[in-house]
Amino acid sequence: MSVSNLLENWSKFRHTHPVDDKGHPDWEAYPSDIKWAMSIDLDACTGCNACSVACYAENNLPVVGKEKYSHGQAMHWMRIERYWDESAGVGEFDADKGARFLPMMCQQCEAAPCETVCPVGATNHTEDGLNSQIYNRCIGSRYCSANCPYKVRYFNWYNYPEQEKVWPEPLNQQLNPDLTVRTKGVMEKCTFCKQRTYTARNNAKTEGRPVQDSDVQTACQEACPVGAITFGNLFNPESQVAKQWKSQQVELTKEVQDKDEKEGNRLRGYRILEELRPYPSVMYLERVRESAV
Amino acid sequence: MTENDFNRRDFLKVLGWGGTAVALSGCGNTSIEDGKETVTSYVTLPSYVIPSISNYFNSTCAQCEAGCNIMGRVREGRVLKAEGNPNSPINRGRMCGLGLSGVQAHYNPDRVRQPLLKGEAITWDKALGVIADKLNGVKGAEVAFLTGNMSGHVQALLGNYMDELGSKNHFSYEAISPAVLRAANKKAYGVSMPRYRIDKARVVVSFGADFLGAWVSPVHFSQQYAQFRKGSRPEGRGVLVQIEPKMTLTGANADRWIGVRPGSEGVLALGIINALGKAGLAIPADVAAASKAYTPERVSGETDVTVEQIEKLAALLKERTPSLVLTGSAAEGYAHGSQNAAAIALLNRVLGNIGKTVEASASVPFPQIAPTVGNRASLVSLNDGLAAGKYKVVFSYGVNPVFSAPAALKFKDNYAKADFKVAFAQYLDETAQAADLVLPLESAMEDWATVVPEYMAAPEGAGSAGYAQMSFRQPLMDKLYPDTRGIGDILLALLKQRKADKYKEFDDFYAYLRSAVLKNKVALGGKATDDDDVFWDETLSKGFVPMKGIAGAVSAKASASDLRLPSATADQEYPLRLIPAVSASMRDGRNANEPWLQESPDPLTTIVWDSWVEINPKTAAKLGIVEGDIVEVTSRSGTIRTQAYLFPGIHPDAVSVPVGYGHEAMGRYAKGVGANVFAMLDAVFDKETGELALNETGVKISKTGQRVVIVKEEGPVGGSQAGKKKIAVQVAADKVDLSKEV
Amino acid sequence: MGKDIREDIAWAQINKDVLKSLESPRKLYWVILLVAIAMVGVAVGCEIYQYNVGLGVGNFDNPNVWGLYIATFIFWIGMSHSGTLLSAILHLMHADWRKPIYRFAEAMTTFSLMTAGLFVMVHLGRLWQVYYALPYPSERWVWPNFQSPLLWDAMAIFTYLSSSVLFLYIGSIPDLAICRDNIHQGWRKKLYSILALGWEGTDRQWRNFRITYLTVACFLIPLAVSVHSIVASDFAMSQQPGWHVTSFPPYFVAGALYSGCAAIITLFIILRYVFRFEEYMTLPILKKTVRLTFAIAMVWTYLNCIEFAATWYSHDEAAKAVLIEKATGRFAPFFWGMIFCGSVVPFALMVKKWQTSIPVMFAVSLLLNLGMWLERWMIVAPTFSHGYYPWTWDEHMWPSMVQWGIVFGSFGWFTLLFMVFCKVVPSVSMYEVKEMVYHRSLAKKKEEQAVKEELAAKGAN
Repeated sequence: MSVSNLLENWSKFRHTHPVDDKGHPDWEAYPSDIKWAMSIDLDACTGCNACSVACYAENNLPVVGKEKYSHGQAMHWMRIERYWDESAGVGEFDADKGARFLPMMCQQCEAAPCETVCPVGATNHTEDGLNSQIYNRCIGSRYCSANCPYKVRYFNWYNYPEQEKVWPEPLNQQLNPDLTVRTKGVMEKCTFCKQRTYTARNNAKTEGRPVQDSDVQTACQEACPVGAITFGNLFNPESQVAKQWKSQQVELTKEVQDKDEKEGNRLRGYRILEELRPYPSVMYLERVRESAV
Repeated sequence: MTENDFNRRDFLKVLGWGGTAVALSGCGNTSIEDGKETVTSYVTLPSYVIPSISNYFNSTCAQCEAGCNIMGRVREGRVLKAEGNPNSPINRGRMCGLGLSGVQAHYNPDRVRQPLLKGEAITWDKALGVIADKLNGVKGAEVAFLTGNMSGHVQALLGNYMDELGSKNHFSYEAISPAVLRAANKKAYGVSMPRYRIDKARVVVSFGADFLGAWVSPVHFSQQYAQFRKGSRPEGRGVLVQIEPKMTLTGANADRWIGVRPGSEGVLALGIINALGKAGLAIPADVAAASKAYTPERVSGETDVTVEQIEKLAALLKERTPSLVLTGSAAEGYAHGSQNAAAIALLNRVLGNIGKTVEASASVPFPQIAPTVGNRASLVSLNDGLAAGKYKVVFSYGVNPVFSAPAALKFKDNYAKADFKVAFAQYLDETAQAADLVLPLESAMEDWATVVPEYMAAPEGAGSAGYAQMSFRQPLMDKLYPDTRGIGDILLALLKQRKADKYKEFDDFYAYLRSAVLKNKVALGGKATDDDDVFWDETLSKGFVPMKGIAGAVSAKASASDLRLPSATADQEYPLRLIPAVSASMRDGRNANEPWLQESPDPLTTIVWDSWVEINPKTAAKLGIVEGDIVEVTSRSGTIRTQAYLFPGIHPDAVSVPVGYGHEAMGRYAKGVGANVFAMLDAVFDKETGELALNETGVKISKTGQRVVIVKEEGPVGGSQAGKKKIAVQVAADKVDLSKEV
Repeated sequence: MGKDIREDIAWAQINKDVLKSLESPRKLYWVILLVAIAMVGVAVGCEIYQYNVGLGVGNFDNPNVWGLYIATFIFWIGMSHSGTLLSAILHLMHADWRKPIYRFAEAMTTFSLMTAGLFVMVHLGRLWQVYYALPYPSERWVWPNFQSPLLWDAMAIFTYLSSSVLFLYIGSIPDLAICRDNIHQGWRKKLYSILALGWEGTDRQWRNFRITYLTVACFLIPLAVSVHSIVASDFAMSQQPGWHVTSFPPYFVAGALYSGCAAIITLFIILRYVFRFEEYMTLPILKKTVRLTFAIAMVWTYLNCIEFAATWYSHDEAAKAVLIEKATGRFAPFFWGMIFCGSVVPFALMVKKWQTSIPVMFAVSLLLNLGMWLERWMIVAPTFSHGYYPWTWDEHMWPSMVQWGIVFGSFGWFTLLFMVFCKVVPSVSMYEVKEMVYHRSLAKKKEEQAVKEELAAKGAN
């Protein structure tokens, strides 16, 4: 289309960005009544890896094998990080209080560093508050990954389905037809199970009602044996995730949370690298450990 | 009519393209032409199949013995994913990584596809003929049948077959099983597998029970654990203390992980009882007498746990009741394993937990389908029989003893002594390779079975005491390979060889199963007046049926009278204690050929695609070992070479190697990955039960001079947060008020 | 110190000398050409392999997603700057010593930009979709993302490349006409006839030529500054520790001029030898270039210090950690190598005796360029391996031979283009040298006149 069109409709070419020039999210401009968000209770999380395997099963993630794993080319959209207690000093590991596990996946930032830098606009903000990744549009500049503070974007360094044959017959029959198998040269990442949220939204729309918690679960949430993951619409005050964010006094729109905490009642909710102002959509709840023993 | 430029023809075009797109993406990386035999025709679909809409069929997970109820997501005739059945009292809709990988067992590219007689493909008729031939003239006592855990109607058929053969040699073997615990529980509580109520306990002290990872019914216990950790629970947030020489996944989640000296768990239990007595808890006289000698100072010396820690733990246990004390594989894997377990069971008695957090479970009303649980002692007796040449024909199903038996037993050689060995196998694993005849099995997503779990989880509420359940495993899709058969069908065919008349009414195992279930409709929750078809369909759609179990009772009869806990003795030649680690995904290695599990990092070390030896950094410093050194771990019975990983969560006197790696066969994903630690275990047995003691192997470690970069998920800074304060944050329990959390 | 260009050199002699370079260079020329072709062969082989199998063969990983390609890309972009400096900036400043060397410097600009452009391609995961980055009209209203510095980059480079080519071409027209007039029949004659655009050397032509040349020169200078500022934006506009630095644009421009000047010294020495340009590329010119290089080296060093100080005294702990990691971690040898080559070695340029010593200057200029390549690598790589998130830190990922092969081959590619150009187009600007000689002889005459007059005045006294 014409350049005049481009100039006139510039704001439409970039999705309405929820964070305005002043750095505050502008909810008025938010184009839908859905904002997907998550909370993860680290006190419940046992680090068992079920979520990660569920993600492999749901999202057609390739198993890259030992050699490529050794090169850091694993494609786990959801990775479990294991930290040790370092109260004695950085790098001095103490196992007496167990290990700390942290499931890390795309934080679906509201002001995502990855979105602005993509030269072809392959990663965008969707109207329901996710970072989308358009595989067909991606040319593989990997700038998004370079600018991601969490390093949760995974690049297809090889042609996994065809040349690397990671799904030898009949393993390929397990592939989920609701989403694609990505080929070499494109970036991919956690989508909050886009295929599921999309279906849930459409079903709710067909039935003429707002989306509820019971409509959709992400694959990781569904599998989690301890129910550490909560997912839902942050705009719906009745959703569990909205209640959790509210009770933890974590606001999506702030980069520093001013919490009304009392002695003996620290609120556990926090967001990782929030001070960089990406406004992540995932709230973690601090791990709790008993000090009496 | 209004202007509408989207006419019918365009609409059909769009539909056509949409359909093509679905078909193309659905086939993954095959073209339609390539996959024509597997793509379901859209023209002749059953009415319930709507293209692009998934159907869910309930079934039962066969990846471990917990028997979680699953829903198979089926689309266009293919099963895509296993999800948890939300109504199940076992897993309540949840899954573990191992269970999720079940689809990869089903779609595995390395499955056996045809009967193989000494490596050559033959027909089923011929295969069954060969078996009939070989059994001809063989006495019942000369036939042995080796299986893993068994239950349900397959077991009933197997029982019938063994009866027909006149053989009593059914050996049920599991390389990793809580067999010592069962015996100790039987003695202490009167039931071998009581219901544990982690969710009701305020404190859980687990002696090496990895109930979140690989112990008994981990997904179920994870449910309980989630409740246990909730601050909003009336009892408040529970406290977990894990006592074990090598940190397990459960230990990693503990409030306090106590790295006890290997083998001294029983001593520590008595020490805690002693400390409880000192703290003012009333201790029964016999227990007090038994624990009198175990003063905190002495115990501290023997266990490497500080006096302060023991006293703190005792104070916590005294203050917060009810509690729950668990005995796991780490405590039972010794020559005195039964004694350890008995001493630990005393703690539950002393703390008054029996009946509160240790509840009676119900036993199954039909003994022929009740679970036969496997152990290691049975392998030893089979092995002895084989060595003596007692067995001429040996069947094996669902186990891989050639891989998992310690080399010291010389099982492979003894197995070869049998004249004719039949393996029912999904993979050409080590045992199948050593067998004469390999019969290819259907996957757990293709065959019919009923499963009765050993650990009988119950739904909340009244009537849970007598609750037992039978789960159904039904095909989630057509079989991939026409020449595979379900174990039920094979057993039925073998039975027909012996007694055609009795079984002629059953065309296949499905018919047998259906008739057996319908005959007992009433006992399975139906009414006598229910229509057979309706009852059957409803049962299958539920995935499991409750049975009126025989409610048992727990008794606090744990006895302290004959406890014999040896003090640790130093072994000069093999100074380190080898602890074979059982990980949640690899277990005993039977699922090693599922790539998701190989690529799923070990939760604690984050290592993938290889085995490793965990060494305490202090020990490693003494031996001059750094991460990635290839070391030789040598025991009296064998040696393995593997990479060293420095691990803070292990006692300095212990080293740990995961089991399940080191396959020499089985398939492309398992073969040659890591080293097999089973092979180097010493043949030491628990004195009471005769179980092979897994943790009794002394080893020494020497460097080979080679070094590799370990392939693992964590980076060069390991588990460090590098001074960053807000990544994985931890807060002390007294700093938060969890009671009002949403 | 050698002699400068003789003022009394005849114009016909100039034509003869320069045109000889198009006919019979020394044997070394052919050796260089063959080596360059071999190097390109290596790179092409590596690229074909990488294209077919995937970028994974270069040993990239999460987080090290960029590797050597972007670093080398910046290096080549940087190298292009001094051409513009010499030909446009010094042109405006009437520095006449630039005249014998600006042509090859301008050619260097063009070819290093072309090499840099290739690295954008080599870097992409889906090279075959590269046109997505172009703002072509699409009925679906799909535009590239104008917010992305990478897109600005593409546009800036494209503009700069086209302007440079234009500038190089315009400046060559009078010389192409000389070639046309002096070369015997053959394909070259035809080529020059077309390229010379019917240049006759009339007054009107000269007047138009002057105006055009000046206009393009003026246009090119802001472009040269902006292009590397924009390349710096790739980093400065990102959020990553070690990249998010305000002083990056001037720092990048200084680095660019620096590496460009060093490359000019290298090429000066090579051309002087292989094309027997000793008469024209004289040592006093070398001396001037060397002094310029030294000045820029000091600017670069200063900006480097500013960057380190700003990081060190800021509260940005992550950026500080990256700096410490650079100086002490896996990259330490390369980091200190860069400091040595970039800030210590240039002091050799201060030594008067060495300023005109061909072997010393050749070695020094190569070291300077090595330092500047290391600088680019040290900007790109440590931030990847030591970003915000400790779990993904990874200093162990090392570029594979495929990456090294392509980087190595790019030098061959540049040399090949450059050497072929010098064989086809006069690499010394004949008409400007004539101007230079003429002006100098005028100046000399004036001087002599003045002396005479002085003497005469004295005599009158």
